[in-house]
Amino acid sequence: MRPLAGKRILDLSAHCAQQPHALAAAMAGKLCALYGAEVVRPEGPMIDPTQPLGRFLDAGKQQSTATGFNAAIGPVFDAAIGPVFDAAIGDANVAGAPILLRFSVFGPGQDPAMSELGLLALSGLLGIVGESHRPPAALAGHQPAYAAGLAGCTALLAALHAGGPETVDISLFDVTCWLNWKVAAAMMVMGEVPTRGGSRADWFTLPASDGHIALVYMEKDYPALRDMLAIEDPRFETRAGRLTHRAEFETLIRPWFAARTREAITREAQSRRIPIGPVRTPAELLADPQYAARGFVGAGGMPAMPFRANGVRPHG
Amino acid sequence: MAEAPLKGIRVVDLGWLTAGAATSTLLLDLGADVVKVEGPGALDPFRNWVGAEAGRPWWDESPWFAFTNRGKRSLCLDLKDPRGQAAMLALLATADVLVENYRRGVLDQWGLGAAELRQKFPRLVIASISSQGEDGPERDMVSFGSTLEATSGLASLTGEANGPPIISGRDVNYPDQVVCLFASGAVVAALMERERTGEGCHIDLSQRELTSFLLGEEFVAAAQGTPSPRQGFGPGCAVEDDTAFWPGGGSAAVRDARGLSESAEFQSGTAVLRSPDGTPAKGIPFRFATRPLAVHDNCHSLGADNHAVMTEAGLGPADIAALEAGGVLATKPRRGPTK
Repeated sequence: MRPLAGKRILDLSAHCAQQPHALAAAMAGKLCALYGAEVVRPEGPMIDPTQPLGRFLDAGKQQSTATGFNAAIGPVFDAAIGPVFDAAIGDANVAGAPILLRFSVFGPGQDPAMSELGLLALSGLLGIVGESHRPPAALAGHQPAYAAGLAGCTALLAALHAGGPETVDISLFDVTCWLNWKVAAAMMVMGEVPTRGGSRADWFTLPASDGHIALVYMEKDYPALRDMLAIEDPRFETRAGRLTHRAEFETLIRPWFAARTREAITREAQSRRIPIGPVRTPAELLADPQYAARGFVGAGGMPAMPFRANGVRPHG
Repeated sequence: MAEAPLKGIRVVDLGWLTAGAATSTLLLDLGADVVKVEGPGALDPFRNWVGAEAGRPWWDESPWFAFTNRGKRSLCLDLKDPRGQAAMLALLATADVLVENYRRGVLDQWGLGAAELRQKFPRLVIASISSQGEDGPERDMVSFGSTLEATSGLASLTGEANGPPIISGRDVNYPDQVVCLFASGAVVAALMERERTGEGCHIDLSQRELTSFLLGEEFVAAAQGTPSPRQGFGPGCAVEDDTAFWPGGGSAAVRDARGLSESAEFQSGTAVLRSPDGTPAKGIPFRFATRPLAVHDNCHSLGADNHAVMTEAGLGPADIAALEAGGVLATKPRRGPTK
């Protein structure tokens, strides 16, 4: 699949004023390259192309120095991603692109200094993740920026599909809040204030003999979980009981998990259709059988486009 | 004002809960016509998410369901019944896109598997959103969103350096949220490809792969022998007294649900909008300057559009009446609430 074959897209991620914007723009540009566009990325200060971050985000893009970009590439672009104007590269080429994709913190022109941690905090997505007795946890990596990049790419594709001039704005804050809709909706719809590790916190990780597993289950799965762990205490028969006596419940079940490997736990749980899974690291996943069977991780650890179209992964 | 980008595109939505259903909602927001298909014995679990009161039409009163599915047309059709399967095929003959996140293999049992549909409808774009993808040794692994955080690598890097790995849990279920932003784009890309080639396609999207993809630099770092440790809030960052701090002197309040919903930025933003009837609705994470997007319609009651959708699919009044008489078309579930 190469839906953007023949399209030329200017990726100004390296010239964004702030890192969240740069990472969002770079992710949108990366996806466009995987969809077959010629993506031109003028070099800039925000993303080092020699580091893993730059190598991941800039794979498949055509690198260009600012000077070379102006002189050699000319004004014909179908779309531009990033700041609309940048003194270092001039705006003539950007102005020639009929479709502009821009990122901001709160909306066009509302760009206070911001980090991804700040976006997680302001959106509530920091405060809700983690155990109640521990600090909140920030989702690893660059989730707010990358999610904005995904949204930006979808919108850019829609604009290209529709044709004609368009300016698409992506608010990093709106996207992060959109991801955290359950918390917002709980307040607006039910009048509830969900809290970290609160009444719904019956999913958590537990130590196994060789790492951790994620204990994840719905109420319908509890009889199978109870049988697997040989739990006999009637206090834990209901969800309310398990939440009320969470510490005792955890103390009771910990030894069963700690005595087994992640693989053994997963095999036993999955045989009972309990959605428990092993916590795996990226290093372990480089040789993961599922990923290997589907050809997901390429040379140098580079993840491929995370879908296949008629059995083939788009690859630019 | 220019037309919405996906004006004229028809989507059949077999998406449940968030991953499938919210993908279709984004396509709706971009201008597509979306028909949500549920069976009288197989409703979207969001209809019964927080319990249901016996004696009331609970299936039409779930705010969680309405939040995500506002504006879609509703068809209640029993896909386990061969007559329902035939009606579904008639509907798909008029469609551009099918979005589904059923358990792998279920649609095949009903003659609605991707391979069969691709053969019957070569221009159809089929988006299958699954935990692991269509094949591989773990294809049938049972997973919820937070299971995928564990198996994708995300949990291993989330949390304090000296604490356990952390999953986002039931209140977030992160992989189920973020996949919608990507899957909707993949569908638009497939529609563009169809314009180029005349052919639809089957999109085989693994949520686990996407979650790993969003840690791509960590895979590259691991492959070069410099894997990152779990490091809490990141270098130079801290959280103290409900305030997050980052290098360069920046800070922001760590908001809870109340703080978020009462903030000016949230209220003027687009993450949560309102349906025309005033109820809170899933928002739209992008803004178009020449094609303003909005929530145009309320949530439809179950089966409210049975007649219109089946008529558009080419069924006559007698066919539709027969399906209703046989319980294949319905406007309420066969059974009571499951909680």
